Amino acid sequence: MRILIVEDDTALSSFLRKGLEAEHHAVDTADDGPQGRAMALEFDYDLMVLDLNLPGVDGLSILRSVRQRKTRLPVMILTARSRVEDRVQCLDTGADDYLVKPFSFLELSARVRALLRRNHLPSELVLTVRDLFLDRVQRKVERAGRHIELTTKEFALLEYLMRNAGRRVTRAMIIEHVWNMNFDSTTNVVDVYINYLRRKVDDGFSPALIHTVRGVGYELSPEGASA
Amino acid sequence: MSAAPQPSLKMLQNQEVFGELLHSLSQPLTSLRCSLELSIDEVSQQQQATVAVALQQAEKVIGMIQLMRDYLDAEQPGSEGCPVPVAPAVRAVVDDLSSIAAVRGIKLLLAGSCTARVLVPEPQLRLALQYLLSSLIQDAPADSEIRLVLDEGSSESVLRVECERGARLREQGARGQHSKRDSVSGTLRKVRLAIACRVLETAGALLAMDDGDRPGFVLRIPRWLAASGTPA
Repeated sequence: MRILIVEDDTALSSFLRKGLEAEHHAVDTADDGPQGRAMALEFDYDLMVLDLNLPGVDGLSILRSVRQRKTRLPVMILTARSRVEDRVQCLDTGADDYLVKPFSFLELSARVRALLRRNHLPSELVLTVRDLFLDRVQRKVERAGRHIELTTKEFALLEYLMRNAGRRVTRAMIIEHVWNMNFDSTTNVVDVYINYLRRKVDDGFSPALIHTVRGVGYELSPEGASA
Repeated sequence: MSAAPQPSLKMLQNQEVFGELLHSLSQPLTSLRCSLELSIDEVSQQQQATVAVALQQAEKVIGMIQLMRDYLDAEQPGSEGCPVPVAPAVRAVVDDLSSIAAVRGIKLLLAGSCTARVLVPEPQLRLALQYLLSSLIQDAPADSEIRLVLDEGSSESVLRVECERGARLREQGARGQHSKRDSVSGTLRKVRLAIACRVLETAGALLAMDDGDRPGFVLRIPRWLAASGTPA
């Protein structure tokens, strides 16, 4: 996929580029508003990552211009503004997603995948990793044909891990997505629930699918953790 | 009941300066966090532990930045928009925190209902309730029950929350072995409670904390007229 990053902080922009290229995307960068707008309008991209606070032309003006000509281009906004009103304004102007700085690259990467998937594939109702099946409609989980009983939170956690299968997710990402809360480093709830899940999903089955990624968080993968 | 107090010019200026500072901080912190996340796979196994520690420290700083932002947002004057019903927000927070409480051996029991609405963005209302309830959960001993009762009065709705076993005793016990980690988390907890109080007061609710034998809090919400946003 071809991605345009419009971000005036060149250090951040280069890290994002490096990370997304490692995930096999072709990445272009622009470090000011006029250049970003020109590139977005002139070239074909599968997704644009757009900072709001840019020199020359601000991100919202670029978003308005892009929306007039490219209604289907997914746009993810990066910003340091976190108020509800700012989010609403961005989404009303036509942004598809909104990420508040200081974000995690792993979070950005997960959202990029979700946006690209949304644009190219129908939403998956059944998630599968090796012999593990999760039916999002019937709320049913099976491994190797055996039914696994999960609580609501365990189900939500497994669904989140399976949606990001083969990718690392941090504890903060899990807390924010599964518990809908800001991460509090003093809580061990994620580790406890991962243990619950391991007992139900991995114990008695081979290979283990849920892996600890040292210093980062967890990964659900049939191949073992990538780190 | 009087209308929510308007912030002074000086306060607004302070908020603006503080906001700019947070904005400026979040830029390099994003680069720092992303660079550590990306480099953890590139360094030797021995160095990975160092990078992991650096990443954890960066995430702690980021957590504090988020808390400062929440504090700043809570200081802003009441937002325009539709009044938000309180009961669903309470139910959602209880639902989110039940599993966290269960991990600590604590039960959350919610009963009753109410029709109260408050003029505050829903995420802020949920955040405030989350901070209040989290604080009780953190203090409660392992086999406690935290009871939440929503009640409808003639002119106000009330949320009463109390911890069934003596959380205070546990707190007193912990004081003897106060560590540096405790003082940091204690500070964070104070800030969270200040945010919760500010959000709820700005929304026109009255909050009373109870540190007695049955620690908890009572939240009183006057009836609001959805159209005008003034008390009934």
